[in-house]
Amino acid sequence: MTPLSYILTAQAAEVAQAAPEVIDRIPSGYNHFVIPFCIGIAFFLIWITVGCIRLLLKIPHHDRLRFWASLVNPVTALKNIRDLFFDCLFHVKIWKRKPLLGYMHSAIAFGWFMLIVLGHIEVALFVPKRLGISKTALFYPIFYRFFVWMNPGHTTLRGWVFFFLMDFFLLYVLTGISLAVFKRFRSLALGMKHTTKPSFADRVALYSLWLIFPLRLLAESFTADLSGGSFLTIPVNHLWHFIFGDKLWIMPSWWLYSICLGLFFAAMPFSRYMHILTEVLWILLRNAGIKPNHPRKGVAEAEIYACSSCGLCLDACPMNVQKKNLKYSSVYFIRFLRRHNEKKINEIADKCLMCDKCHALCPVGVDAPALRRAQRATVNNSICFDYSYLDSASAAVEQGWTSPGPDCRPAEGEDSTPEVMYFAGCMSHLTPRIIKSVEKVFKAAGVSYVFADEGGGICCGRPLMLAGRNEAAAKTIAANKKMIEGSGCKTLVLSCPICFKVFKEEYHLEGIKVLHYTQFFNELIASGRLKPVMGQERLVYHDPCELGRGCNVYYEPRAALSQLGTLVKASKEYDESLCCGGSLGSLTLDARDRAKISEAAVISLVANKPDKIVTACPLCLKTFSESVANSSYPVDPVRVVDFAEAISESL
Amino acid sequence: MVDFGFGLVPSSRINLDLFDKERYEELASMEPDVRKCMSCGSCTAVCTAGKYSATSLREAIECIHNGQPDKALGMLKSCQFCGKCTMVCPRGINTRHLILSINKTYGEL
Amino acid sequence: MKNNVLIVGGGPAGLEASSQLQRLGYNVILIERSTALGGHLAKWDRLFPSGVSARETLKSLMGHIEGVKYFTDTEVQSINRLEKSYNVILSNGITVLADAVLMTTGFDLFKASRKEEYGYGIYNRVITNADLEAYFRNGSDPRIDNPKRIGFVHCVGSRDEKAGCRSCSKVCCATAVKQAMEMKQAFPDADVFCFYMDLRLFGRHYEDMYLSAQRDYGIRFIRGRVAEVAENADGSLQVKAEDTVASKPLKASLDLLVLMAGMRPSVSGRRVGDLLEMPVEEDGYFSVKEGIVSGQKSPHPGIFLAGAATGPKTLPDTLADARAAAVMIDQYLSDVFPEAKHYKNLVRELW
Repeated sequence: MTPLSYILTAQAAEVAQAAPEVIDRIPSGYNHFVIPFCIGIAFFLIWITVGCIRLLLKIPHHDRLRFWASLVNPVTALKNIRDLFFDCLFHVKIWKRKPLLGYMHSAIAFGWFMLIVLGHIEVALFVPKRLGISKTALFYPIFYRFFVWMNPGHTTLRGWVFFFLMDFFLLYVLTGISLAVFKRFRSLALGMKHTTKPSFADRVALYSLWLIFPLRLLAESFTADLSGGSFLTIPVNHLWHFIFGDKLWIMPSWWLYSICLGLFFAAMPFSRYMHILTEVLWILLRNAGIKPNHPRKGVAEAEIYACSSCGLCLDACPMNVQKKNLKYSSVYFIRFLRRHNEKKINEIADKCLMCDKCHALCPVGVDAPALRRAQRATVNNSICFDYSYLDSASAAVEQGWTSPGPDCRPAEGEDSTPEVMYFAGCMSHLTPRIIKSVEKVFKAAGVSYVFADEGGGICCGRPLMLAGRNEAAAKTIAANKKMIEGSGCKTLVLSCPICFKVFKEEYHLEGIKVLHYTQFFNELIASGRLKPVMGQERLVYHDPCELGRGCNVYYEPRAALSQLGTLVKASKEYDESLCCGGSLGSLTLDARDRAKISEAAVISLVANKPDKIVTACPLCLKTFSESVANSSYPVDPVRVVDFAEAISESL
Repeated sequence: MVDFGFGLVPSSRINLDLFDKERYEELASMEPDVRKCMSCGSCTAVCTAGKYSATSLREAIECIHNGQPDKALGMLKSCQFCGKCTMVCPRGINTRHLILSINKTYGEL
Repeated sequence: MKNNVLIVGGGPAGLEASSQLQRLGYNVILIERSTALGGHLAKWDRLFPSGVSARETLKSLMGHIEGVKYFTDTEVQSINRLEKSYNVILSNGITVLADAVLMTTGFDLFKASRKEEYGYGIYNRVITNADLEAYFRNGSDPRIDNPKRIGFVHCVGSRDEKAGCRSCSKVCCATAVKQAMEMKQAFPDADVFCFYMDLRLFGRHYEDMYLSAQRDYGIRFIRGRVAEVAENADGSLQVKAEDTVASKPLKASLDLLVLMAGMRPSVSGRRVGDLLEMPVEEDGYFSVKEGIVSGQKSPHPGIFLAGAATGPKTLPDTLADARAAAVMIDQYLSDVFPEAKHYKNLVRELW
């Protein structure tokens, strides 16, 4: 009889029939030792069901509909399945950066997943009546090896395959567990300089998790000669016989195994391991495009519990060049969010540089900087402001250009709309060599442009957003939008990445191409309008946080710079590049801490001895210039130049 | 007592006795560097909003010291939070955080 | 057997100390890393408060160093302490057994290009106080072209956390007032503005300078720090400050902007100090044994300090400091080497 018919007939007739390979030795299918496990898992299942329902109810109605829709939409459904496998089970994101750490996490995750899945398939094949809607379904597959014995003389290939697979995955998980234990003592060997400090509930769950699999090995190998096993459990079984002789340890070992499992599941909702299931929900919500607008309620709750406290954000955060700043890392922010510790939440939220590196490196994609901004908004968004002057300001601007110089107005008779509108932004006015170089490059390439905020303008609005003052930001955005759309220009070029990000993402400018000057100049070089001369100098490029991680612009600046000289690598680049420390994002970081962050970034940039550091952001330019000039740390003479400056010098 | 009417028109003189020390200490605990301001005026000079409306952190701090917190809030209500003042402050005061702290301490949120 | 005294740095402090120690009978070896003696004084035109010629002052200092062995283009290569003396190897190959070392390494001028918002090196019409002194000495500078509106920015690189220097450079305010008056003399039709945070005119006759600048020269003093400079299309400058007294932001168009670059601890002096493990304080200048009564002694026995190496000083302060150091060195060497014989070189000098 085929396995499928077993399941069908067994459920229909409830006849005590098992597959020929096994003897279902206990008629009730129950033993008292399963109680601890049952208590633990029942508590856990109730907790997550209630939690899940509560969470979904807190999501706004229209977002909920979007969520249900995304589950049936084939595109997002496929993405969901892919993310669930790649992020939750295989931990591909960790593999890519730290292979051994990735192996450790995936061994435990994927290995345990396979043990559970294969275990249930085993029961479905061999003792199907114990599955389905029966009294034993909860615990029977977990303790399967206790409840069945091999039927002598009925060894089959499929039986052997299952024994082999179960032992294989058990060994796989055990290698992961041993790496996890090792990591507690020598975390650097797995690529982590700092590890998370576990809370009390974390420790309970952690130690019981560590014990689960060795105890499973112990228990299953005590019964291996009776219930079967393979290359792992059988030799261990022989070992026990050699040491202990008899089988009196079967019950205690299964009791211990059950207790450990029960303890783990009972502690799970209070520990970091909740992420095992929450990250599934979080990935589904995230792929549906639902964003948190509050740091604690609604979608954010899924995000917070999806964090596994893995601690990768500790090494990522640029502030952690100083150990005293470890407590401001994302992992602890999320821990305090769970505990509703308002004072700590605000303290951590205000400190963050918003460089987004923790978000980039997070294996589950938890966007902690966005949660921090949401937290800032709960306090700062209600601060009174009066931007009524903006209406008259932008109205005045709509009449014509804001005081451009005679050079940038097109000649009489020509189409009076310039090709490009250049918006320098607030910060560039304090770094005039950027403005001068940009204008020089425009002239050299024959670009007709208008300098929108030459006499000073309205802030782009992103600093307000970074501080959580979204209402105020909306007003400045509206005022600037009116001005830009009224100008008639088709291309908007920004020299500041902060401006670029907000103009690209929040302004929704109709029919206007928004470009960062690195992109625009790269286009000019590629089309031949700019002809830079190749030089002998070694250049290193620093990815500004807002341009690189913020907008995914990595390639164009480098393409342009490789036409000017030899581009060398920094020790950390692209989405791993170090924040310069000058970011507006932090509200409370003091100058001394920022100097240390800049120092670390400069040291990373000069790793391959460049002649020039090239930046594409006025804040980075100022910060690095001062860091190199003030340097109390040993650094070879290196010039810090702006991207436009580097190009204009090579013309 | 005869009322000669000398108090009819409110005095334009600053009354230092009106300085609220407790509130100021609250502000200083949020942002200790507020004590460092030497009124150089760099912040007002570079202010983005200052082009369009009366915005001055220096004056706001001065008003707080002189017991005029409402006037201080008025000098800050147009702030666009761009951060230029933080860039130029020679005493290294985190001016953006100070503006937020003044609003949180003296303002009605 | 005469004691040797090595003096590191040939500026005014080094010159004055050399001449005093020479007269007291010691063997003085003076080294200077650049090509000429005189330090910064050699580059200036007129000195405050009374406008005496810097050239003349330097000439008189140089006139007294007869008998002093000096080496220009020479630096300290290595130095190590023996029991009572220092074994110094100079970059020209000469070895000196110095019984006392006097550090008169002076100061560096703040690199004004670091304050990028002022546009030094970016805009054509922005110069520093040093550039202006050179202009007065040499008579021409392409950036100074009959300016009608001239501005002076006090405290550039001083009292500025962003520039890495919290301390005041002491002399820039007096220099600014002096240079403002000199510009008015050179360009009588020009409007001259001084933008300051605080006016530090503490010395004798300095307040009279200030009064004269206002009353006789019509120089406008604006209490407000220049925080941003932009360039108009015709090359003139747009300067943004706040008139803190009137409590309003202010802008002005100027033809010339002079930045009063402050004093910084000397980088090359620090290099020598590190060879001797001389401690420095947070502001980067060398530590002294005690600030009030032993301002010329370093914490290490046998090493002395004079001049701007221990902090910003005016020229009279520097010369007084140098003479004090000479007396302290004399006292020290008489104690430590009682057997050495020194005979004063008496030089008749009219009072």
